[in-house]
Amino acid sequence: MTPALLGNLGVSLALAFSLLGLALSLLAYHQGDGRFLRGAKALVAPAFLAALAAFLALEWALITHDFSVAYVARNHSVQDPLWVTLVTPWAALEGSILLWGLLQTLYTFLASRKPLDPWRASLVLAVLFGIQVFFFGVMATIASPFQTLPNPPADGVGPNPLLQNHWMMAVHPVLMYLGFVGLSVPFAYAVAAMVVRRYQTWVGETRWWTLIAWGFLTAGKVAGMWWSYEVLGWGGYWAWDPVENASFIPWLLATAFLHTAIVQETRGAFKAWNFAFVTLAFAATVLGTFLTRSGVIQSVHAFAEGPVGPAFLGAFLFFTALGLGLLSRVSREVRDTVVFRPLSREGALLLGAFFFAGWALVVVLGTFYPLLVEAFAGAKVSVGAPFFNQVSAPLGVGILFLMGVGPLLPWRKPRAEVFRNLYLLLGVLLLGTLGGLLRGYTLGASLAVGLFLYNTAAILLLVREGVLARVKAGLSPWGFLANRRRVGSLVVHFAVALMGLGIAFSQTYRLESEKTLYRGQAWEVGGVRMELLGVRALDEGRRFAVEASLRTDRFGEVRPRLHFYPQMNSPLPAPKVVYTPGNDYYFLLMDFDREKGEWASIRLIVTPLVFWMWVAGGLMALGTLYILWPVARREELKGVSPA
Amino acid sequence: MRAWALWFLFFLGAWAQGGLTSPPPDLSPEVFAIARELRCPVCQGESAAESNSGVAVEMRRLIAEMLGEGKTKDEIKAFFVERYGEWILYEPPKRGVTLWVWLLPVLGLILLGLGLFAYFRPKKPLPPELLEEAERRLKEPQ
Repeated sequence: MTPALLGNLGVSLALAFSLLGLALSLLAYHQGDGRFLRGAKALVAPAFLAALAAFLALEWALITHDFSVAYVARNHSVQDPLWVTLVTPWAALEGSILLWGLLQTLYTFLASRKPLDPWRASLVLAVLFGIQVFFFGVMATIASPFQTLPNPPADGVGPNPLLQNHWMMAVHPVLMYLGFVGLSVPFAYAVAAMVVRRYQTWVGETRWWTLIAWGFLTAGKVAGMWWSYEVLGWGGYWAWDPVENASFIPWLLATAFLHTAIVQETRGAFKAWNFAFVTLAFAATVLGTFLTRSGVIQSVHAFAEGPVGPAFLGAFLFFTALGLGLLSRVSREVRDTVVFRPLSREGALLLGAFFFAGWALVVVLGTFYPLLVEAFAGAKVSVGAPFFNQVSAPLGVGILFLMGVGPLLPWRKPRAEVFRNLYLLLGVLLLGTLGGLLRGYTLGASLAVGLFLYNTAAILLLVREGVLARVKAGLSPWGFLANRRRVGSLVVHFAVALMGLGIAFSQTYRLESEKTLYRGQAWEVGGVRMELLGVRALDEGRRFAVEASLRTDRFGEVRPRLHFYPQMNSPLPAPKVVYTPGNDYYFLLMDFDREKGEWASIRLIVTPLVFWMWVAGGLMALGTLYILWPVARREELKGVSPA
Repeated sequence: MRAWALWFLFFLGAWAQGGLTSPPPDLSPEVFAIARELRCPVCQGESAAESNSGVAVEMRRLIAEMLGEGKTKDEIKAFFVERYGEWILYEPPKRGVTLWVWLLPVLGLILLGLGLFAYFRPKKPLPPELLEEAERRLKEPQ
């Protein structure tokens, strides 16, 4: 038995089980026969085990340096440390698809264990098996992770050095895939709901899946931003790179869905929106892979290119057509008949969802526009960060505004006391913004201060409301914490406001300066005084490092580096970041004297409030966890299915 | 020293030849502000402020030089547009073929506003005969 044999066997078996499962679940639906459904369910676990075997086979090949496997030869080297070897399965295309497929079988397994009426159960399984057929079909044909080489090399080049430079690369892709795959379950339920024409219950039944997917996507995005900040050496966290956009689009649509789903759960409205949003959110995850892997858009993240692009484009079109086609078939039945007021909880939620969906549309437009121009006009144009920042700013302001007032508005009709709260909040917003302007901040930064204070005040008002209601009813005020959905969402909302503040300030007030220092020369910039002590080279086995030593007045000695990898033709910067609650100080070594080590070019980037963005990212994950964790267990104990 | 340390020395030499042998010039924050709006022509999705490639280093040097000569931001950007075409600008110009990328979001927002307005507008009441019919049926014994 070789790793390649086991891997191919695993992929083939997973494909076979998925195909069989798809056929059986479709039969179960058409024949209305429970035996077929039991048969399909029986295939869920074997498909997962086969996928797991294939994944472990890839790890096996990597750990044993089996360079007869093409993937290993391309992405692994005997010099790689163990942790890099273990995360190499998602360093390139084929392994990433394998991980995606494995997670899909895991989610299918978990989803199939929840009790559901046989009609929808067979349809949900059919959709999930269908997705698996696509992934394992791709792996079995055009993107096999286990293709072998007739003449294996003695050693490979190792994964892209960008991936070896930071441990976050072990975490970020897995979180993203967990989020992407998580969206497949609500999508499958939505398809089933539209086929059997039972439009109401699916949103409640998949609430946990949606939240889990959203939580992973959020954590994954923030982890990716942090990785970009720590590793790429440009002192930023978001470049509006096509690949970043590709994973931002599903996040935006999932966020829109999360909010309109609440309205359907509570008021039974917005059914059509929910079907549309969940379809687009899921399809966007596939579109993202098309963007990343087809090489249609050149970007720093496009580590691999292959024939996979067209397959993913086809899958994107298929899933979109499936969801929206079914929706158009039942559109007359899901139309809203209730009257909505804009000044109500549902009004704010719908408006907010529209902002998120509109934002997704703008990002799609900006990302694809250069492609369209190139295809139809033959011209090359760039649509970069300045465009995205300008169109995103008003949308972000709108979202931050709705986020404060929305949860305070009651369902249906505003009550008189609500207006008192509204005026109070508007006062806070106005004063905060004016205060910012008086301190000399730009309009955007002042608005961010105002919106942060306004959101904090709104959250305090909500907490006060909840606590007072409990005290009046003679209950312990701490019981408010048991309302996990409310408390968790408030934590996430606060984190979003904090994130907004961090983004506004770090984008507006960024100081970047570069100077060549000779040994012993001092430089004072951005509130730091530094002196170059020396430059030295270090041999670290798989790479060379050149390190500059700087003595600073505030942070002691800092040592930014440049890393030289044999497989890269320009060095990778390894910045030294000093995090402080106010400003981040980002030291970079840009160039150095190769002959005597007499001088070094140092770049210093001072960015305010970035620290709080990572705090906000952590709070978002914690808030989501707070909503999900124990309630799911308790409901399961009560026998209520959370899925 | 390991064998491939030789490679490192060789590599350093090659890298140095691509760039400059004398120390690079000092760069003020204004240089970066301009460079951030320009694409690095040989990179994938990096601006001239971030990239460490020879071209980007040279672009930063040119920007610093032109700023020293008293040129304005727009003049410097125009210089690079003349050299590489409008593709070099990360902010698409609001005319010609890239005008639509600016107009479409605005148009979309207007359409969205109209759609939402229609959605929130009170629905027309049902015709009275239909309401009577509904009332009658509700009162009917099952």
